[in-house]
Amino acid sequence: MASHAGSKPQNVDPAHKAESHGAHHKPAAERPLPEQVMPDLVKTTAAGSKFKVAALVLAGLSVLGVIGVVGRLFGGTGAADQKEWGYVAATLGFMLTVFGGAPMVSVAPSMAKANWIRPVTRISALFSLAGVATALVLLALVVALPPLVTEGARRRSIWFDAPVYSPHFWSIVGLVGLVVTGIGLWYANSLPDFAAMRDHSNGWRQRWGKKLARGFVGTQGQWRSLRLRIGMLGTLYFLVLIFVHFLISTDFAMSMVAGWRDAIFPMYHSLGSLQAGIASTIIAMWAARKWGGLDKYLGHDQFWALGKLLFAFSLLWFYFFISGFIVFWYGRTDSDIMVLDLLIRGPYKYAFAAAFLLCFFLPWWTLIWNRVRASVTGPAVVAAIIIVGHLFDKIRIYGSAWSTDPARIHERFLTVIPQTHYPDVFDIFVIVGAPALGILLMLLASRMVPVVSIWDMKQFLMLSKPVKYMKGHALIVAKPD
Amino acid sequence: MADKKSVLGLFQDPDRAADAMDGLKEAGFELGTFDVLTGTPYPEGAFGEYVPQHRLFRFPAFGAIIGFTLAVVFTAATQLAYPVISGGKPVLALFAMLVIVYELTMLSAVVATVVGIIFESRLPNLNPGAYDTRITEGWIGVVVSTTSDKAGSAEHVLKRAGALEVKMA
Repeated sequence: MASHAGSKPQNVDPAHKAESHGAHHKPAAERPLPEQVMPDLVKTTAAGSKFKVAALVLAGLSVLGVIGVVGRLFGGTGAADQKEWGYVAATLGFMLTVFGGAPMVSVAPSMAKANWIRPVTRISALFSLAGVATALVLLALVVALPPLVTEGARRRSIWFDAPVYSPHFWSIVGLVGLVVTGIGLWYANSLPDFAAMRDHSNGWRQRWGKKLARGFVGTQGQWRSLRLRIGMLGTLYFLVLIFVHFLISTDFAMSMVAGWRDAIFPMYHSLGSLQAGIASTIIAMWAARKWGGLDKYLGHDQFWALGKLLFAFSLLWFYFFISGFIVFWYGRTDSDIMVLDLLIRGPYKYAFAAAFLLCFFLPWWTLIWNRVRASVTGPAVVAAIIIVGHLFDKIRIYGSAWSTDPARIHERFLTVIPQTHYPDVFDIFVIVGAPALGILLMLLASRMVPVVSIWDMKQFLMLSKPVKYMKGHALIVAKPD
Repeated sequence: MADKKSVLGLFQDPDRAADAMDGLKEAGFELGTFDVLTGTPYPEGAFGEYVPQHRLFRFPAFGAIIGFTLAVVFTAATQLAYPVISGGKPVLALFAMLVIVYELTMLSAVVATVVGIIFESRLPNLNPGAYDTRITEGWIGVVVSTTSDKAGSAEHVLKRAGALEVKMA
């Protein structure tokens, strides 16, 4: 993410070398001096050759994504053939899951006053910007979403007698609201760092820093207001995130299949987003260490703590999956059997098997080992596995839902299981290009403010002190607020 | 009337900045006319600074009251305008109203909170007074907003507390 890949710190406080992972016996890796933080992190915003190559590649993939969406809209049958849009819908669900859940990673631990989360807050909030790409995919997809009433009959949905384009309107309102709230959260978190950029960078960064810092000088009132804003926006983000998952999962998946009624499904969708959000944050942290030279700022403690959360959410993924599944399994009505035939053992059974394996089984069987959790590479590899798992999960959900025959949507339950619909070149462009656009936006934002928050990092160092405790080492953490 | 002045003392040691705050209080400067500028949030009250009361918590409460009232009026008026008796229940069915009342109360509280955040953010700061870019490096500023005739006194207090540099604007 930053240009000075592999750069190592010059000055390290010897007293700080004694930091431990929580309260264990061996001293942890070096940590930076407080006065080193600002120049170190401001330097990471300069665009190096690696950044330029990455940005160019992502921009190229984003163009492919645009071609894919345009091709889907105007090529072949256009918006008329519902099943052609299954992979676009899957991409929407995937991006909402992966990008939407990430900002939540720092909200809950921050509210619980966890000190370890401070270096992670900016990276997780940065994913809000990728939400812009998710919103663009939604805008294309609503063109293909059928209205609630077709040929005089109304399909079953959460909208009862509402206007026929309610799903279209409210899903856009909800997702735009989520993106705006997320960007607000990122901006609130970045405000003091814009002031730092105003004071210590040059060129366009300094000019933008001056504009966006809005006269922030660090009075105690401004800091207090900042804390309140982050807390309030974080809470609001969570409320809107669940609402949007509810809308997208019901309107773009469940109501597309005759007879699919599952009260657990929206929550399963939301929970998956929290799991994928942790996973995507871990991957971004790993990339920031690998290519951004931020290994001193994003240490084992952060990976270990997030690895534990990832493990817990992988188990929860299974819990929510089985809670929904078991109703259909024991229900055994014709409707239940057809839903299982469609989603589990039907045309997308391999996608389901991959999702189950990658979202639950492999993460469970790897993260259960402390050696894997307490490393940097272990959680990052598992996180990548989970992200791929969620792609398969969304393909089996949205792909199958959009493959059903729209002429039979008014039947009591599904009577004809569709064939597997394989992606064409436009689908592949969208699957690759749309997330690439989201990542590109994040990458560009990392040129404006560092991906590790300067002020959070300084507070992290100020509120924690490595000490020798009896014959071991410990980290004393103050929680004053 | 004397001109307004902003006097900034710069410190590297937080304890000395806290001493300067005490000194300003003792020298008779009113609470609220001096503040600490830091590049990272210190625990509230760490410098013995004046903590202004914010009104943010009033916004959701006010919004919730408005939303609750509107919801009760909407649901009651609708049911009275179209009186449908179902299952022998009263026309004004409380449990049917509860969902709408809850939703509208929450919606208004959330909207009012967003308005409150904008209102209470203290930004943009159009008159920041004296400032130094070293504050974002980790230095601590104690800024005094006063009149030009008291600026000398403020400078004296800041220097006595150990300010490494004093700036005026």
